[in-house]
Amino acid sequence: MTSIAFPLSLTLAYAGMLLFCLGMERHWKQLASPRLPVRLRRLCAPLGMAALALAVYGCSRIWQPAMAWVAWFGMISLSGLALLLILPYAPRLAIGLPVAGLAACAVASALL
Amino acid sequence: MKPRSLTQSMSSLHTWCGLLLGWVLFAIFLTGTLAVFDRELNWWMQPELPASTATQTAAVETAQRWLEREHPDAATWNISLPTDRSPVLSVSHGEQRRGERTLLDAETGEVLEARQSVGGNFFFRFHYTLHMPRTIGIWLVGFAAMAMLVAIISGIIIHKKIFKDFFTFRPAKGQRSWLDGHNASAVLLLPFHLMITYTGLVIFFLIYMPAAIDALYDGDRQAMQRDARATSAQQEATIARGEGRAEGQQASQRGEGRAEGGRNRGERPVEAAPLLPLADFIVKGEAHYGVGMLSALSVSNPGKADARVTVRPLLGSRIELTKGESLVFSGVSGKVLQSPPPSRASQLTQRVMAGLHFAQFGGYPMRWLYFLCGLVSCVMIASGLVLYTVKQRKQAKGSRVFLNIAERLNIATVAGLCVACVALLWANRLLPAELAARGDWEMRVFFGAWLLSLLHAALRPVFLAWREQFYLAAALCLALPVPQLLASFPTDGLRLGVDITTVALGLVLGWLALKIPALADTHSVTKPRAARLAGAQQ
Repeated sequence: MTSIAFPLSLTLAYAGMLLFCLGMERHWKQLASPRLPVRLRRLCAPLGMAALALAVYGCSRIWQPAMAWVAWFGMISLSGLALLLILPYAPRLAIGLPVAGLAACAVASALL
Repeated sequence: MKPRSLTQSMSSLHTWCGLLLGWVLFAIFLTGTLAVFDRELNWWMQPELPASTATQTAAVETAQRWLEREHPDAATWNISLPTDRSPVLSVSHGEQRRGERTLLDAETGEVLEARQSVGGNFFFRFHYTLHMPRTIGIWLVGFAAMAMLVAIISGIIIHKKIFKDFFTFRPAKGQRSWLDGHNASAVLLLPFHLMITYTGLVIFFLIYMPAAIDALYDGDRQAMQRDARATSAQQEATIARGEGRAEGQQASQRGEGRAEGGRNRGERPVEAAPLLPLADFIVKGEAHYGVGMLSALSVSNPGKADARVTVRPLLGSRIELTKGESLVFSGVSGKVLQSPPPSRASQLTQRVMAGLHFAQFGGYPMRWLYFLCGLVSCVMIASGLVLYTVKQRKQAKGSRVFLNIAERLNIATVAGLCVACVALLWANRLLPAELAARGDWEMRVFFGAWLLSLLHAALRPVFLAWREQFYLAAALCLALPVPQLLASFPTDGLRLGVDITTVALGLVLGWLALKIPALADTHSVTKPRAARLAGAQQ
């Protein structure tokens, strides 16, 4: 668990930021399929909050609590910036990344 | 003149604080970011050294044998142990804190020869002194940090849509893109910018705000530090018993302690007594600080009855910056004479803030987070600097002369400093290894390269100068591993890490250089010019 805690926390931090981003009308229009119900958009922010909370938990598996918070701030900041840079160039990649990240973490934890 | 709104006045405050101090701030932030890996750079800059595989216990035994043979009468021995980030054993003797270090093979005790180098320490010192006399430099850096805080706060006030534009970046739109990029790197990393700037100021609080200590302690910093420390009754007893050792303890409390107390009073000769094997103290130290958490040992009065062994921990088992903290043992009986008391709340607060700035905790994952965040800070400052010129270029009014100066200074600070930093690394590889005062020459190359880049920026057309300097920096970064490969120095994870990181940074710089015509404000005036540039390049 500890060995994948870092990539997993980073993925969760990114997923959290992505969900917050999807919760905004401008980006919902940009990223989500028009067929999806708008009600789903309102779920994004709470889900994002949950993902960020899980990221804190992930960090606390690597570091003691005080350090975990420092790392968590760094992770959400950097992953938010990464998301912002990917968005205009490859919006699909922006959505696919956390899925790929979670899958990679799952495979890694199964193998290790 | 009609009164200006808050936003307007904050906006001009932001512009001028950001621009005038931005040049200094970029240098501070870039060198500070590189200093995150100062030990790794130190190691990289002495490529002859093989990484030691010996345990700390074995290393300290080797060191003790060597010191007992070569310097049995020295007043102090200092032994710095091989650690993960600096896998080499080095010893020194005598009073001076930064005296000649002798590098030893931790297994055989042979003296190792390595080139002199300023190492990554250069970036660290430049980061807080700007290579000026220490006090002046610290004041100037503090002034720049205050300006940074002002720029951050005023920036928040003038940002119209922090939350709406949280994830907004519109590339290839000239000034709009620069503003988006500047805003995004500032807003998303706001916690980091605020933290690193504020904690940077807190480190030197005694220098920046001495009034309280002047008033309460007549400027006696030691008295303040004694009060700030919680001293337990048992330790006070030790201090009282210790024959005039209090002085030595103060020295170590100031963080300057190489435990030089003891013998210099010279009232009565101290009889000889055998020193315990130093390996014992590794075990004792690890019992207190944790296995593998020690960085150095020093011994005062080795071979005498009042010998004392000071065990220093690696920084980083906690956020609190415990620089200068140590465990002191009697070298003859092995008893603990002094153990670090826990900090009181006020001191703990300051030390945790300093620790947050120094980033010694949390291992490599944390170090990388700090490094990347630091790079984004540099990008934020640089984009702000460029944004000023992009904006001014479009405005008909305003001084062309100042704009011209600003453009050239931007090039010399942003691109020029990148060139200078990697030039320092090249100097480390290319200067003859036996050159006298080699470290000074490395610095001369650094500042020389920086001056040349200023000259180049002053003489060339603006866009060409940006491009050429970024290309140069990129090429220097990408080719940096070559001398290492040719000379077949021993390679290990640390050095490889430095090489790979430099190459990665080189790729980013090269990409930037490629993008410059597009990054330039490609509206009306500059478009044909950029096209011409692209043509001229081929």
